[in-house]
Amino acid sequence: MADYAQPDVLVSTDWVAEHLTDTETIRIVESDEDLLLYQTGHVPGAVKIDWTNDLQDAVVRDYVTAEQFAELCAARGISNDTMVVFYGDKSNWWACYAFWVFKLHGHEHCKIMDGGRKKWTDEGREMPTDAVSYGRAEYTPQPINADIRAFRESVLEHMRVGGSMVDVRSPAEYSGQMTHMPDYPQEGALRAGHIPGAQSVPWARATNPADGTFKSRDELEAIYLGEKGLRPADEIVTYCRIGERSSHTWFVLKYLLGFDRVRNYDGSWTEWGNLVGVPIERSAEPGVPPGVSGR
Amino acid sequence: MATGIEPIIERFGLLDDPAMKLDLLLGYSKKLPELPEPYRSQMAAGLNLIPECQSPAFLVTEIEDGRFRLHADAPREAPTARSFLSLLTQAYDGADPAEVARVPLDLLSRLGLADRLGMTRTRGLDAMLRRVQRAAAQPDAQS
Repeated sequence: MADYAQPDVLVSTDWVAEHLTDTETIRIVESDEDLLLYQTGHVPGAVKIDWTNDLQDAVVRDYVTAEQFAELCAARGISNDTMVVFYGDKSNWWACYAFWVFKLHGHEHCKIMDGGRKKWTDEGREMPTDAVSYGRAEYTPQPINADIRAFRESVLEHMRVGGSMVDVRSPAEYSGQMTHMPDYPQEGALRAGHIPGAQSVPWARATNPADGTFKSRDELEAIYLGEKGLRPADEIVTYCRIGERSSHTWFVLKYLLGFDRVRNYDGSWTEWGNLVGVPIERSAEPGVPPGVSGR
Repeated sequence: MATGIEPIIERFGLLDDPAMKLDLLLGYSKKLPELPEPYRSQMAAGLNLIPECQSPAFLVTEIEDGRFRLHADAPREAPTARSFLSLLTQAYDGADPAEVARVPLDLLSRLGLADRLGMTRTRGLDAMLRRVQRAAAQPDAQS
């Protein structure tokens, strides 16, 4: 872990096990793809935050407001200066998404437990099923941290000037062989392909499948810098289908590799692939955005 | 042995609290029969997995002596998929195929789970449901 650009942002399962009783200053938060997983057992003392029911607005396609976010935290005993340690299923995919939303709302002290739920359970550690609750905390709403979120207009502009982008979906989605999941046309987009100029790096390439941990800095640099030619000083936009997988890559680029300016485009393909008139590249190559000369 | 879907919809309908509905759903994960051979080997080999599902959910359907048969499994780390496959198995394993073909395709809404699960999570479950419905309606068209 020590080689990462911001090594403090990751903690090990050992570290978490040693800090389980520090509930005055630390809150462990489980965030999963599977809604029922937390109830089957969780890290002792961990609370659950669900990305659908807790972090997103129920009506508008957006995140909870600063006030709603403050209430979410207060109800879980999280105050503005609590250190929040996220973990979850699928190599911390959803933990990184929750981390991103916490950063969007300006929460300062956020960490990820490397290896997530899988590593904790594989190590045979305790997984109680008890209901966890803490006394209410005070939480003051913070201004939205707009630097880490990209909206469609700015992505369009970013594309027009030849800015770097990372598409983290599967190769079939990237190349445009697939607009949506079979049987579920309304879940997808009307057009298939990717944003012209975007590089393809499926999000899971950043992880070790055996234990769910992040790859080493050298291995990550070989992919994002070596293979894809991204530079840490570049402005980068990451996207996927709805912005969750890409928050994992956002985390990798920003905190593990030290890229200065990375934004997650949470509208992602379910927005871009339905927009009228925007350019789309339908091939396995990044392609060249209209108006940009070849690289 | 197949209960049909109506008693299950009624059980969910008795609960008002969405959290209790989720607990009821989770309870089904413990009732999923162990997968017999040769299906267990098929699953281990990555065959007959549902591609729409985020987790390796296994489903094989067939008609045996005029009855609809369902062989399904999902890992314990995927309790939602596991619970839903178990619910479908309880409802339809051994049922008349014509009854299975009439399964309501908006089942997750009828169970009061669609909003709580969210669109992304219901995708894999709906794919299972449609596969079961199609297999019962057109048994000869099975892949």
